[in-house]
Amino acid sequence: MTSRISRTLVFVILCLIAVSTVYPLIFMALNSMRSSSAFELSPFGLPSHWNFSSYHSLFQEIPFAQSILHSFIVVVPAVILATFTSSLAAFVFTKVPIKLGNVMFWVMLMIMFMPGIVVLLPLYVEVAHTGLSNNFVPAILIYTAISIPYGTYLLRSNFRSIPDSVVEAARVDGASWIKVYWRVILPIGRPGVFTVAILTFLNIWNDLFISLVLLHASNTEMVTPTLAQLSGKYSTDVPVLMAGLLIGALPTLLLYFITARVFIRGMLSGAVR
Amino acid sequence: MDNDVTGQLNEVDTPVITMREQKVRKRRNVFSYIALLPAALLVFGLMVFPIGETIYHSFTNWDGATSTFIGFENFRLIFSNPIISQVLVNSLIFLISVPLILAASLVTAVLVYEKVLGWRVFRFLFFIPMVLSPVIVGVLFSTIFLPGGAVDKLLSVFGLGQFSWLQYPWTARAVVILALVWTSFGFGMVVILSAMSTVDTALYDAAAIDGASWWRRLRSITIPMISGSLQFLSVINVIYTFTSLFAFVFTITAGGPGFSTTTVDYYTYITTFENGQFGYGAALALLLFLIVLTLTIAQVKLFPYREVQQGS
Repeated sequence: MTSRISRTLVFVILCLIAVSTVYPLIFMALNSMRSSSAFELSPFGLPSHWNFSSYHSLFQEIPFAQSILHSFIVVVPAVILATFTSSLAAFVFTKVPIKLGNVMFWVMLMIMFMPGIVVLLPLYVEVAHTGLSNNFVPAILIYTAISIPYGTYLLRSNFRSIPDSVVEAARVDGASWIKVYWRVILPIGRPGVFTVAILTFLNIWNDLFISLVLLHASNTEMVTPTLAQLSGKYSTDVPVLMAGLLIGALPTLLLYFITARVFIRGMLSGAVR
Repeated sequence: MDNDVTGQLNEVDTPVITMREQKVRKRRNVFSYIALLPAALLVFGLMVFPIGETIYHSFTNWDGATSTFIGFENFRLIFSNPIISQVLVNSLIFLISVPLILAASLVTAVLVYEKVLGWRVFRFLFFIPMVLSPVIVGVLFSTIFLPGGAVDKLLSVFGLGQFSWLQYPWTARAVVILALVWTSFGFGMVVILSAMSTVDTALYDAAAIDGASWWRRLRSITIPMISGSLQFLSVINVIYTFTSLFAFVFTITAGGPGFSTTTVDYYTYITTFENGQFGYGAALALLLFLIVLTLTIAQVKLFPYREVQQGS
């Protein structure tokens, strides 16, 4: 009997916490379809009808669609590059013995937690000197570089679980190393590679600092700086702000909803027990 | 290493392999360097080399174009600047978030572990804030904590009036800490849950037979068994307090009121990119780097990495 009561209590508490994590999304969605005067009256009301005028003004008054496009232009190549290069590096670190391999790996681990501003400060100056300010290429490369240590770290522990005998067998059959990587490691380690790609996408899409510093012109601005500045411009027109937040959150939210299991397991594989 | 049996057999069977073996060894080396090259070039060129530049320029007066060597002048200025001590104190205050995150993660993990109806759904939902950009969380928090905003409306049920949460140092800090805890506890919960799943349930059964209370089981079995995860989470969150508050501060308080919520990276951002003092900014960035590096090394020394095995 007591266990029944305590179970109900646990359930109720969990429901309350779940409300705190889900309601903000509902809050954004509902208020994006209300008028700002209705919001001023009460932020908790329901929209009276399907009203998409906030979305209309979001895309009409500011280049919001472009900022989303810019984010994709930077994030997608960076994710592909970072995943590819880290998988190659992780393959070498786990399956192809190399001089100083461990030292190189530890250097990567050391700079994994490095505050971004340490590298961004000189990089910003160099990018400006070479006339590449507000160019997507340096941003893509810097995002790639900053994602490699984490990706290599995750994939290294992933590739380790692939038995060496599989690699040996392929080698005995005369497969070149590149073939072993492409035909053996990548297919077997696909879940891990996929996870790294997802997490890298999340990290870069959500970042503010690098995009704020490197791509500050309106014709290159990514979505996070746009949203950060939106809050100043539209503090009196909350529905437009909420519409922007919701759309900005959509790509990562969808990715999470579709791949939740892989996602959570992937985040865990970087942790220790 | 266990899998080297085949390799050893080959060597024993064919002792005259030397030439071929050497060739293979050589090719293996060439391949490993080529395969490492892209990652190494990017990491060295865009991370290691810039660190060196930052270190060099922290000893210079640098406006982004010309730099003159001034020795330790930047550091002398840093340590005589009252704002810096304020900023460092802020970072220490923000560390309050670490025990809060640990507590929230532990509580939710323990509750979800009870496997009540729909526990998988709860785990799924608690992770949502982690997926959102700090910018989105920050803008949302700054909106709901406006005077007369959603939070005030909610509190008016209890008869409380409007309050300017972001105008007072301590409430502004509390809002930033709340945002950090809200986004971080999902990850902590998942880490603790996975650690709890490795605890032998026989321990709980035995304790239950001995009449140990729920609280007693938590304190004497669960927490000791997952201490590794708790240590990992505390260290990682301490580092995060120093390195990843920028977006929250930028969107919620802009460092204010005064400098009461300014973090080291936010202050470095202002001095460098808004005031153009690049040498001084480099010295500040280096200071932050040294703090974080010390914390990272302390982590590696105190709690040696034990990576989670696959399939967990």
